[in-house]
Amino acid sequence: MTSVSMQDKIRQDLDVAAIRKQFPILSQKVHDRPLVFLDSAASAQKPDAVIDAMAETMRTQYANIHRGLYWMSERTTEAYEAVRDQVAQFLNAPSRDEIIFTRNSTEAINLVAHSFGSLLKPGQAVVISELEHHANLIPWQMLRDRVGIELRVAPITDAGDIDLEALQGLLADGKVALVAVTHMSNVLGAITPARTIADMAHAAGAQVLFDGSQSVVHRKTDVQALGADFYTFTGHKLYGPTGIGVLWARKDLLEAMPPFLGGGDMISTVSFEKSTWANVPHKFEAGTPAIIETIGLGAAISWIETIGFDAITAHEAALTTYGLKRLADVPGLKIVGQPKERGGVISFTMDDVHPHDIATLLDRNGIAVRAGHHCAEPLMRRLGLSATARASFGVYTLPEEIDTLADTLVRIRNFFV
Amino acid sequence: MNSIADSGALYDRLIVERARTPQYAGRLEQADAQGEGKNPLCGDKTRVDIVMADTHIRDIRHHTRGCAICLAAADLMAERVTGRTVAQAQELSQKFSAMLVGEPASTPETTTDTTALGPLEAFAPLRAHRARIRCAELPWVALKEALSHVAV
Repeated sequence: MTSVSMQDKIRQDLDVAAIRKQFPILSQKVHDRPLVFLDSAASAQKPDAVIDAMAETMRTQYANIHRGLYWMSERTTEAYEAVRDQVAQFLNAPSRDEIIFTRNSTEAINLVAHSFGSLLKPGQAVVISELEHHANLIPWQMLRDRVGIELRVAPITDAGDIDLEALQGLLADGKVALVAVTHMSNVLGAITPARTIADMAHAAGAQVLFDGSQSVVHRKTDVQALGADFYTFTGHKLYGPTGIGVLWARKDLLEAMPPFLGGGDMISTVSFEKSTWANVPHKFEAGTPAIIETIGLGAAISWIETIGFDAITAHEAALTTYGLKRLADVPGLKIVGQPKERGGVISFTMDDVHPHDIATLLDRNGIAVRAGHHCAEPLMRRLGLSATARASFGVYTLPEEIDTLADTLVRIRNFFV
Repeated sequence: MNSIADSGALYDRLIVERARTPQYAGRLEQADAQGEGKNPLCGDKTRVDIVMADTHIRDIRHHTRGCAICLAAADLMAERVTGRTVAQAQELSQKFSAMLVGEPASTPETTTDTTALGPLEAFAPLRAHRARIRCAELPWVALKEALSHVAV
């Protein structure tokens, strides 16, 4: 397919021009150039629907929740709790009580590492993979040092996929209590075979946690079909606000787990001698939560659902194919990893040009990309790199923006070499 | 189409040239002292070897893995401190840092001044790129460590 007909195909999947009009920031200029925002994997931009929902909440119906015996508080509580129903549907969770609101995916994983982790005994093991973001590595290292469990790391293939045979080997002795892996790599874009990994973990008597921070943005998520026991994601990558994330976990697990943070809202009865805990999910939501941000997350999910994941997934798959093709034509550019299945993330290096120099010069041309180790230092080491540049795509990304990126990279390369 | 380097003159010709073909790269077998600088944010690192002659830096080499800014900063630093005393090198280091954060020079300089920044002024546009200032400072961190091992 020629570049022009590929661009037409991308436009057919989704009315990107109409979508872009809903993101006020996309009309901003950077260094007198139109903003080309290719860093949605770090944090996505926000549509009017989210901005307005949050502003409207503060303007018209805000009060603290779960305690006010007055109309305004009850209304806010309803709006907040309605998002729990929405998230349960979004993930196809069996029960709304399995949705815990956290600050972000990092906090959700820390919750599991502290609370589920406190049930583990020395001699038991947790398995992660070489693909992991620090958010799904450090909490388990801290648990290892606190409780004396063993931390095992499933290697990846040179292409960037989790080595399933090696994972099978790590599970063989039956000591593994939990397999915690990403559902989509923030560096390589690799989509992990979640169902297969879940089946392997369960066959070995282990539970499985998926870090869905990247994945939930790009495709329909069904925690039951995936066979997950724990699933985490964050609002700000899903076109929602910062400060709100989600942990979904099976209810029987949540009921067996002790609370994570203590305080108001998570209790049943309190005395100086002894307190008892509220039922799930409230047992895990201490203190006044991020009420406005939660309502913003609900607006983001509603907004995404009006577009639909069929269109989003098709659009981003076409963009990624186009991006891989265009970037492959840039002299001296190397695309990092060749995973079997890739979401809208492309990491690359260029001969003789450091990723930070690439990012600075792209920025001067209005193009925002990420450069560095992407909070995945062990993965960088495994790949034999200290840093990469990364372009990532969202619902609002245009094929023309990928052209601008590729053309500017050619000029950067000519400047340095 | 405007030049790709039209970026607040950050990538001065001198910086690009020195990044591409450094003049002071390498190691010194008989080094009197060594220092290291590492940037955990980007993984860049540099090692500095120095050979002293009395209170003077007689010879200096750097071994740098980093971006163009870091590479050129290491090379131009090495050039500038060669032949200088420890005290002069330290004064240069202070002036360089002050320039990067945009502080005015305390005393007017002449180009013949032994502690004038000279070609190091090519890094002045970094003021407008705060995220990159540490790239240029990394070699000076390594030099500072090396000098701390030198008894004068």
